[in-house]
Amino acid sequence: MSLMKAPENTPVWVDTARCKACDICVSVCPAGVLSMKQEPASTLGAMISIEHPESCIGCNDCELTCPDFAIYVADKKEDGFKFAKLTDEAKARQTAILENNYRLPENYGK
Amino acid sequence: MATREIISTGNDLNAIAAVDAGCEFFGGYPITPSSEVMHTISDLLPAAGGAAIQMEDEIAGIAATVGAAMSGKRALTATSGPGVSLKAENLGLAQMAEVPMVLVNVMRGGPSTGLPTRVSQGDVRQARNPSHGDYRSITLCAGNLAECYTEVVRAFNLADRFMQPVFVLTDETLGHMHGKAMIPTVEEVKAGIVPRKKFDGNPEDYRPYECGPTEAATLNPMFEGYRYHFTGLHHDGKGFPTEEITTCRKLIQRLEDKVMAHTDELELNEEFMLDDFNGEDGEVLIIAYGSVSLAAKEAIRHLRKDGIKAGLFRPITLWPSPADRIKHFTDMTKNVLCVELNIRQYTEEVERVSGRLDIEGLYKVNGRAISPYEIVEKVKEVF
Amino acid sequence: MAFNYDKYLRLEKMPTLWCWGCGDGVILKAFVRAVDKLGWKQDDVCVISGIGCSGRFSSYVDFNTIHTTHGRTVAWATGVKLANPDKHVVCVAGDGDALAIGGNHTIHGCRRNIDINLIVINNFIYGLTNSQTSPTTPQGMWTVSQKAGNIDPTFDACELAIASGASFVARETMLDPKKLERVFIKGFEHKGFSFFDIMSNCHINLGRKNKMQSAMENLEWIDSITTPLSKYEKLSEEEQLNMFPTGVLKHDTEAREYCDMYEDIKAAQQKSVAKHLVTQDQFKKKI
Repeated sequence: MSLMKAPENTPVWVDTARCKACDICVSVCPAGVLSMKQEPASTLGAMISIEHPESCIGCNDCELTCPDFAIYVADKKEDGFKFAKLTDEAKARQTAILENNYRLPENYGK
Repeated sequence: MATREIISTGNDLNAIAAVDAGCEFFGGYPITPSSEVMHTISDLLPAAGGAAIQMEDEIAGIAATVGAAMSGKRALTATSGPGVSLKAENLGLAQMAEVPMVLVNVMRGGPSTGLPTRVSQGDVRQARNPSHGDYRSITLCAGNLAECYTEVVRAFNLADRFMQPVFVLTDETLGHMHGKAMIPTVEEVKAGIVPRKKFDGNPEDYRPYECGPTEAATLNPMFEGYRYHFTGLHHDGKGFPTEEITTCRKLIQRLEDKVMAHTDELELNEEFMLDDFNGEDGEVLIIAYGSVSLAAKEAIRHLRKDGIKAGLFRPITLWPSPADRIKHFTDMTKNVLCVELNIRQYTEEVERVSGRLDIEGLYKVNGRAISPYEIVEKVKEVF
Repeated sequence: MAFNYDKYLRLEKMPTLWCWGCGDGVILKAFVRAVDKLGWKQDDVCVISGIGCSGRFSSYVDFNTIHTTHGRTVAWATGVKLANPDKHVVCVAGDGDALAIGGNHTIHGCRRNIDINLIVINNFIYGLTNSQTSPTTPQGMWTVSQKAGNIDPTFDACELAIASGASFVARETMLDPKKLERVFIKGFEHKGFSFFDIMSNCHINLGRKNKMQSAMENLEWIDSITTPLSKYEKLSEEEQLNMFPTGVLKHDTEAREYCDMYEDIKAAQQKSVAKHLVTQDQFKKKI
């Protein structure tokens, strides 16, 4: 396992090798950025996926609540990253994800 | 060897020896008859820049001691039988993680609460295996006041050499005996200190538990740039828990072999009036240790005056037992008498290493000492 | 760059053996962030953990680490700290480890007010050994040792710590990792015994068997039984019975720390070493 490298111009990124598919980051994201997706090769049959990074508001809740060092958010100050504002569309999408077993409705079953 | 005269008690001598030998930490709990070790060391140790603490129970006492030892300090604890029973689990951790420390057990009547203010040697078998699992105990037994000092000094050096706890057994008689002793000077002791081995290479290359099959681990003190992990679980070369079959087998075998392959460094006996033993009829070999050996020596002088050729074999390192030396004498002597303040605890070891089942014994378990005359009478009765 | 935890981790041991969503990982991250913000050097820190899932904490972080026997972290830490008073010592123990078998040592660590930090990862169950009742398991919950429902009463660990004399006592939960980090920083900076009751989720060995399948459901339950201290003080006595206050519950900066007091003993003893020893030199002087 190597040091996490921040990809260019990315608000949020994951190391899927570390993710245990616990659903917590998807639960706490306010903007519907994240979703679980089916992944037959992983232990719980699921894996984290960043679906809508453009909606990420940089609140950092996903990174703080991930127990396994799998998800990271760019730093506002250091990377000078410009995060999005929280929109109603993003909030609605998040509600839909939570009601759909942590999966984006259109991805469900994929 | 340069010596000095001192008038003190066995317990006080334990404490003085520890401080002279570079002990920097004591963690203990009051228990008769060992409390005076704690009382004295709690004055001496802070005066020498170390720390002594009375913890809330026996288990906390050993925990603090092993913690300080893990951090790199020479550490001591002192207790009696019931305390060793309580400390057993953490002694096992010290064995498993290869942590050097010294435990003084001032033996009293047992089992359980027993006879708190009276003498016994009832913890000899316990000292061999106080804790569960496979490992080899190193147990020394002081046989007179001077050895209450010298055996503690030797214990610290052996602990650092073998990287495990070393027990020093004394008993209530010696612990509370007040008298004159000739002990090495402080300079002698300091010159003889052999501290634990240290690794001084690149921290990246440091593998504390990776060593030859008869070697002890090399554990650097904490806070000096070498970070590793201590655990009571089976562990790999860096100290991390593992269940891998080869690693586990090699670890336990090494805990055994690191002691048993080097018993020459551990063995220490006194052979009192045995130089003229040559296998003749009528010779009487007495095997005794601890305070009982003082009575045995006096008994031997009496027996010799009465024309009986008697001698004492006194193991000072009780465990591992001096098997070869015991067998050397039991092979040539028909009449062997074991004298102990317990029921056959070391006799059974003598039987095992000598192969003989006809060994006589004089045992006492009522908290009273054995007098020289009782030994003389017993010899005349059975041989 | 986002916060890089890798410097403080033993990367070769990753991924952790904790279950998916286990609070232990979040606490570990908050702990690492706190240590980083405080500027503690890794070589100056000793992390001691007990037995249980939280016991594996010490093997994942790159400090001087010890994995002790069950319940003995505070006693162990007392030895390490007293022998090395200028180093930082942090204990991590579960609710069973610190409050059941280790209850006595916790009490006396608090009483001595020695400068060590005890993080109790309170997940209300014995997790690693599969769901036995712990001193904090709520009454009525299903555990393997009390399948008809736990009858054992519980107690408030922070009240125990305060009564025993700890000079810094705080309770936080997994719900706000930023608050967790802040309380760690405050407690670690404090010179004296710092007691942290960190309520955490064990959805695998408590939640699943008590109708709380997911990590979030457990966290929501914890949220429902905790409330910030300021709000707690306004509740009625009856309401208070079922709630735990969170935040810093005690912060006494006046109480003297143990190693500091021990320096007094060192100074006193250095002036007058045991006079009852009679060596040959002193003997001669007497004559």
